[in-house]
Amino acid sequence: MKRLYIRWTVLVLIFGSITCLGILRYDREVKTVSPAKVSSEGAKGELRLLGMIEAGSFVRGVEGKPTRFMLSGEGAKVAVVFSGKDEDESLRELKTIVALGKWETERKQFDASELALDPNYGFVTSAYVFSLIPLAFFLFYMERRVSLLYVMIKEEKVYQSETQA
Amino acid sequence: MTATRFIGILRKYEKWFGIVALILISAGLYTGLVTSSADYFQGEVVRIMYVHVPFAQTAMLAYSTLFFCSIWYLWKRDAIVDNACHAAAGLALFFTAGGLITGAIWGKPTWNAWWVWDPRLTSFAIMFLTLVGYLMLRTFLDDVEKRATFAAILAIIGFIDLPIIHFSVEWWRSLHQPLSVSTRGVSIAPDMLVPFALMSFGVGILFTYMLMVRTQLLYLEHLLEAKQGRFLSEAEL
Amino acid sequence: MHFFRLIRWIAWKDLLSEYRNRENVSSMFFFALNVILIFSFSFSLDPDTIKEIMPGIIWVAFGFTAIIGLGKSFLIEVNNDCMEYFQTLPGPKGAIYLGKFLGNFLFMLMVEIILFPLFVLFFNLSILDQALPLLLVSSVATFGLSALGTLFSALTVQIRAREVMFPILLLPLSVPIFIGAVEATRGALSGDPFSMYSHWIELLTVFDVIFVVVSFWIFEFILDY
Repeated sequence: MKRLYIRWTVLVLIFGSITCLGILRYDREVKTVSPAKVSSEGAKGELRLLGMIEAGSFVRGVEGKPTRFMLSGEGAKVAVVFSGKDEDESLRELKTIVALGKWETERKQFDASELALDPNYGFVTSAYVFSLIPLAFFLFYMERRVSLLYVMIKEEKVYQSETQA
Repeated sequence: MTATRFIGILRKYEKWFGIVALILISAGLYTGLVTSSADYFQGEVVRIMYVHVPFAQTAMLAYSTLFFCSIWYLWKRDAIVDNACHAAAGLALFFTAGGLITGAIWGKPTWNAWWVWDPRLTSFAIMFLTLVGYLMLRTFLDDVEKRATFAAILAIIGFIDLPIIHFSVEWWRSLHQPLSVSTRGVSIAPDMLVPFALMSFGVGILFTYMLMVRTQLLYLEHLLEAKQGRFLSEAEL
Repeated sequence: MHFFRLIRWIAWKDLLSEYRNRENVSSMFFFALNVILIFSFSFSLDPDTIKEIMPGIIWVAFGFTAIIGLGKSFLIEVNNDCMEYFQTLPGPKGAIYLGKFLGNFLFMLMVEIILFPLFVLFFNLSILDQALPLLLVSSVATFGLSALGTLFSALTVQIRAREVMFPILLLPLSVPIFIGAVEATRGALSGDPFSMYSHWIELLTVFDVIFVVVSFWIFEFILDY
């Protein structure tokens, strides 16, 4: 029984450290702000703004002019200017995206240097949590039960494993 | 082969399967979650694939194991093979449920729906129901040999039915409306293939390990039950 | 010719006892009648909706009659201690299965043929010109349903909670029958040419052949206990 608990402690440590690495890797990217917060309170520095491209507001940039659209979220709208190129024309209205850039307080607009898809980290995390944690509990329960049964049967002197004999 | 000898072999080799599964899965999780890049179309959500598809594949592997063990049981009538059948059914139910849950979580951001009547999903749901029926049938039978035989028959019938179910649902869907979202043809970049392969093999080998552990568990429980039953009858005498 | 005589005698025995007490067919029939009544209360009955939902109603009613009728198929043998007699019968045990299956198939088909005029009556359908295709569809689908149902009846009759276990085992595995039957019935009711839905009948036929053969082979293992 003691060896079982030692083994599982090691397992928990291994998977805990992988989880920590994962959290470190994503921590910077997970933090996003909503358009509501930016427009009401303002913000400084590099930001990740998460929202949906408002219907009818999207103007594709041509010949040096920047792409402009309104990003909405939590009941507020923010004008976004994106000077980069949307190479694959993957942007369209009603799509949820993350805009990386700076908030300009005077002009009340968001200068995006990069646009990315909504990462949906919540779905990824819940998929892993709902599959791997039950798996671990199931396996732990089975191994613990098997060790217990071996002890019980040994005490009852009915079964002797050939590997132990 | 006697049951004791069989259990001895399981005890001797199980740890190697456990270790290999541990290495493969931790490498798969590390490459899948930390180093691999996000998919071009699906974004980060594609990382669900590294856990969803191995679970679904392993559910199929478990059901196939159940099928072949059931045939083996009807042929040889080894009680330990029946324990393996029971173990494989429990694991198949577990992995099917896991595949359905992760599939629903993957479906929400990609198709904007938790559930789609896609042939694969429908077949898996029916497989889930069949396995629940299988395990219920086992609980309602007390005679050991009768339980083993009836369960084996049900497993064989269900396994033969699966391709027909899949085929009929595919026809039914394609006639009603074109599949607006196809679950197949997820093209895999080499960058994503590494964690995918690691997780696939890892979960498959982990299933083998779990099967070995669970077969022992069921065997030992029956052994203990038989022994306690004997004591009881002696006491009654 | 012992084999075919055995099949014939077992089917004949079932039909004769059914003729004498009319338990099975009448309970199946009145149960289906109740299902039809409930359905007619639950849905609005304008002609367009009826066309859309009718195949589903028909096959839900038939599915329930299958659960009521087929589940009891082996109960009469157990109650009269005939299982031991079956076990000691010489010759292939599959013949017993085929005999019981034939009897069940005929019961089910009989009930369905009585029920179709009632669908016409209650839901204002016109099926007279489509009677032949509908008969084909229902017999092919009923064939598969009775094949699977007879096997599961033999499987569940000896266990506890058989009334619960029979539908739980039968319904998920007969999904292809219900899909095929509903689609083919829809085709027949809307007066499509036969070639438009003949592939569903092919699918049902494949299902029938596979499950009659597999059940015939596997029945021996059930009867051993």
